[in-house]
Amino acid sequence: MSLESPESSQETFTHKVEFELNGSPERHSVPTSTTVLDLLRNSCSKQGVRASCERSVCGACTVLVDDLPVAACSTFAFDIDGARVETVEGLAAQDGTLSAQQQAFRECGGFQCGFCTSGMLMVTTALLRQNPQPDREEIRDWISSNTCRCTGYEMILESVERAAELAGAKQQDQAPE
Amino acid sequence: MNGIVIPFTPNDSPIVGRDRPRLDSTAKVTGRAIYTVDIEKPGMLHAKVLRSPHAHARILSIDASAARSLAGVTAVVTREEIHGLHSYGTYVKDQPIVATDAVRYVGDVVAAVAAVDERTAVAALDLIRVEYEPLPAVFDSTAALDLSAPAIFPDQPFAAYPEYGDGASGAAHTAHNVSYEFRYETGEESIWADCDYIFEDTFTFSRMNHMHLEPFATVAEATATEIEVWTSTQSPFPMRKELARVFGLAENDIRVNVPLLGGGFGAKNGPKTEAIAIRLSQLSDGRPVRYCMSTEEVFLTLSQHDAILTVKSGLKADGEFMARKSRVLLNGGAYADASPLVAEKAGYRMPGAYRWKRIDSVCQAVITNTVPAGAYRGFGATQATWASERQVDLIAERLGFDPLELRLKNAKELGEEFVPGETPIDSDLKLGLNLVADAIGYRDRPRSGNRGMGVAIGIKDGGGVNKPAQARVKVTTNGDVFLNCGLVEMGQGGHSALCQIVAETLACDPKRVKYAAIDTDNTPFDQGTNASSGIAVMGHAVLQAAERVRSSVLDMAAEHLLLDRQSIRLDNWHIVGADGTTYELPPLIMDRFGGTGFEFTADGYFKVRSSSSAPLEAPCMFWEIGWAAAEVDVDPETGRVEILQLVVSGDAGKVVNKLGCRGQDEGAAVFGLAQALFEELRYDDGELLNGEALLYRVPLAEDIPRRFSSITQEQGHGAGPFGTKGMGEGGMLPIAPAIAQAIADATGAQLTSLPMTPERVYNGIRAARARQGRAHRNA
Repeated sequence: MSLESPESSQETFTHKVEFELNGSPERHSVPTSTTVLDLLRNSCSKQGVRASCERSVCGACTVLVDDLPVAACSTFAFDIDGARVETVEGLAAQDGTLSAQQQAFRECGGFQCGFCTSGMLMVTTALLRQNPQPDREEIRDWISSNTCRCTGYEMILESVERAAELAGAKQQDQAPE
Repeated sequence: MNGIVIPFTPNDSPIVGRDRPRLDSTAKVTGRAIYTVDIEKPGMLHAKVLRSPHAHARILSIDASAARSLAGVTAVVTREEIHGLHSYGTYVKDQPIVATDAVRYVGDVVAAVAAVDERTAVAALDLIRVEYEPLPAVFDSTAALDLSAPAIFPDQPFAAYPEYGDGASGAAHTAHNVSYEFRYETGEESIWADCDYIFEDTFTFSRMNHMHLEPFATVAEATATEIEVWTSTQSPFPMRKELARVFGLAENDIRVNVPLLGGGFGAKNGPKTEAIAIRLSQLSDGRPVRYCMSTEEVFLTLSQHDAILTVKSGLKADGEFMARKSRVLLNGGAYADASPLVAEKAGYRMPGAYRWKRIDSVCQAVITNTVPAGAYRGFGATQATWASERQVDLIAERLGFDPLELRLKNAKELGEEFVPGETPIDSDLKLGLNLVADAIGYRDRPRSGNRGMGVAIGIKDGGGVNKPAQARVKVTTNGDVFLNCGLVEMGQGGHSALCQIVAETLACDPKRVKYAAIDTDNTPFDQGTNASSGIAVMGHAVLQAAERVRSSVLDMAAEHLLLDRQSIRLDNWHIVGADGTTYELPPLIMDRFGGTGFEFTADGYFKVRSSSSAPLEAPCMFWEIGWAAAEVDVDPETGRVEILQLVVSGDAGKVVNKLGCRGQDEGAAVFGLAQALFEELRYDDGELLNGEALLYRVPLAEDIPRRFSSITQEQGHGAGPFGTKGMGEGGMLPIAPAIAQAIADATGAQLTSLPMTPERVYNGIRAARARQGRAHRNA
C-alpha cells in the first residue's frame, strides 16, 4: 500500500505534471510509474484519498478528474497533466461549511468505518453533476463502482437521495428571485 | 412496514435513543479521519515480507546476505533474528514472527525487510535465497484428521486454556492435527430412547475473507527495551500483553496506540503486522518502521473458518425437540490464531434458539495447510446457525410441518435458560420471528411459480466471556468532557454511543464530550473490542464513571453553595437548585480551587461475575439475536436466485443511536447475504484461487435486494446501561438459512452447502425432482 517516497528510485525518467487540485494550481515532477494516488497522498498531503485494493476495484481512492470519477490507484500521474482534479478535501466550503453530499452522508449515516466514504462522496458528486435528480436505480448503478463493507448500502443509497434533495434546495435558495 | 407493531420502549431521554449523527461523522465526511495507514513518523522506514510459495515445506537454508547489502536496506529478519522470541496465538501459541523450521501454507511469512521505501524493500526480497524441502500437505479438515495425513506440527506448541464450568470442557492437541477441541454436554443420554424420530444430516459452511477496506498496518518504534506501536488492532491491551510475551518485556515497556480502524470484523484481534514491524525497528537502530499489507497480503493472513457440521436431532411425533448431538469440524488453517475461541462458540451454540432436553456437542479446530482462520463476525455462531437452522427445515419437510410453526413450537421463551447455569434468554424470540415473517407476508404467500419464503433465527451469547472493562471520565473547569476507555472505533459507532451515555449522565451537549485517543499507557484497561460488547459491557463502566463524576461535582457544589445535596441537579454545566435557581459552575470551581481551575475525574469498572456453574466460566452478558425472513424467485433452468425481499431484525434492548443500530444490522445482513449466495474463498488443491480484490466477490450496491429493510426492536430486557444489548453480529446469523429455506420453499431444493451458487441450486432442483418422481412412482 502506497506511502513511500521514491528516494531510492531507479527511475530517472520524470514527467512534469501541472494540474488544478481543488481549485489551486499544483506543479510536480514525477517518475513515470507514479500514480495519482501516490501523488495526492504523498506529495499533495491529501490523506482523505484512501488506498485499499489498489486494483481499481474497491473505489476507496476515487477522485474526480475533469468531473468524472477515476480510481486514483490505477491512473498514472502524467495522465492528469492539465486536468482539473478534485478530492474530498475540496468538497466543503472555505469556511468549513459541509457540502450537500457531506451533510447528507452525515445526517443519514451513510458510513460506518468511513474508509469508503471519500470515494463514495466523490462518486456522488460526479453523479449529481450529471443528473441532479437521479432515481434510486441510477444511484445504485453509480455507487456499485465502490465497495462498502460496513453499511449494507441501504443507508448510502438514502444518503445520495438526501444529497440530491439538499443540493436542490440549496440551488433554489441561490436562484435569483 | 404496514400494520406491524415494533416492540420499543418509550423514549423519555434527551440524548440516548436520538437519531443524531455520529461524533466521528464530520471527520469522516471531510477526509480528516486518521487511520493507522495515515500515521507517518520522521525517518520512517518501510517493511515488506517474503512469503512461502509452498503449502508445506521444511526450510533447509536461508541466504539473505545480498538483501542485507542492498543500498537502502536497514534490516532483514529471518529465523536467525528471532532467537529467544516467543510464538503467539490464542490459547495455542504456535505462530512465530517468521517461519522457523517449516512453512505451513502458501503465504506463510519467511523473511521481512526494512528499507528506505517499499520499492527497495521489495527489491531486497528478490535477493533472499531460501532452500525448501517440500513436504506433503493437507488442505481439508477431514483429511487432516487421518493419521496418514502429515503432522503439520510435529512438536505440540505451548497451549494454555481455561477451566470451564458445568458440562463444558476443552483441551489442546486432542487428535492428529487438532489444535483445540471443545465439548459440551447436558441432560440424560436416555432421552434419545424417548424420541419418535431421529435425523442425522451433514452441512458444510464455506470460508470468507474479512475484506476490511483498511489493510493490516503498523508503525513501530522499538529498541531492545522499549516498544511503541501505532496499529490497527481491535484489542489494544491483549495486544500489549501478547507483544510483552513475544518480546520478553514488561507490559510497561510497551505502548500500543490505536487510531480509527477502517473495518475489523474480527480480523484485527491478534497480532498481524506488529511483531514484524517491531523486530525490524529494533534491528534498524530504533527508527520507525511501517509495515502495511497490500490487500493480497491480507487475503494470505486471516480468513473465516470453513466447517463440516454433522447434526443428529431427535424429536417426538408432534414435533417437540428432544435431543441433539453434533460434531463440528472447523478448518483452522495453518496456525491456531483464534480457532480455540471459535471452537468453543461453535460447539456451545449448536442448540440454537430451541429447547432440548439433551445436548451433546463436540467441536474440533483442525490444522491444515491453508490460510489461518480466526475471529470473523459472529464466529462459531454463523457456522452453528447454518447447520442448526437448516436441519430444522429439513425436519419440517420430512414430517410435513410448516418451518415457521415448527420453530415457534420449539423456540425458548423469554426468561428461559439457554442451558443450565447460563443467562436466561432476554428477548422474546417468537415475537421477533413473527415480526419478520409478517413483514414479508410469509403466512399469505402465494404457493405458485418459483417463488418461496423462509425464516430463521440466529442466537449467540453476547458480551464475551471474562471481559473486564474500565473507563475514566474527566470534566474540565469549563465543562468539557473527556471519555477515556479502550473501545476501538472500527465503524460500529461505539465511540459515539459511549459519548452519548456520558452526555446523558452529565446532562450536557454531546458535542462537549470527546473520546480521548487510545494508548495503553493512559487508557484504562479493557479486554478488547469484540463480541458486540461495547455498549453493554464497556457501557456500564462508562456509565459508572460518568455517574461518579456527576456525584463529585454535585458534592462539591452542595458544600460550596450550602445547598441540600439531594435537591440539586446538574444541567448543561450549571447547578440547578430545588427552586430552579441556576448557578454557573466555572466561577464556582475557580473560587473553590483558588483560581487555578480543576478537573473532576472518576473511574468506572464492569465485569460479569464468574461462576463455576456457567459452562463458559461466566454467564453471558446478553443474548444477541438475529431474525430474518426472505423471499426469493428461482430460475429452475439456471439455478439463479433473485432475492425479492429480505428483512433482518435485531433487538437493541434499548436504542442509544438509531443510525448506528440500523447500520450494524444491515451491514451484518449483507455479509450473510453474500455468504449465502456467492462470496467465498475458493481453493484448488491448496491453492487460493481468488485471494485478491479483482477476483474475490464482495457485495456491491447492485447486489442488495430492492426490498431490503431492517427492524430495530427495543424489547427492553437488555442488561446493558438503559436496558441496552449489543449488536453487530446477530444480523449475520439467520440470513443464509432464511434464504436457503426460501429456495426450498420455491423449488424443493434443500441445500446443505454454502454458498448457494446457481450450480448448486440447479443440482438441488434436479435432485428434488428426482425425489418427487420416486415418491410419485412409489405411491
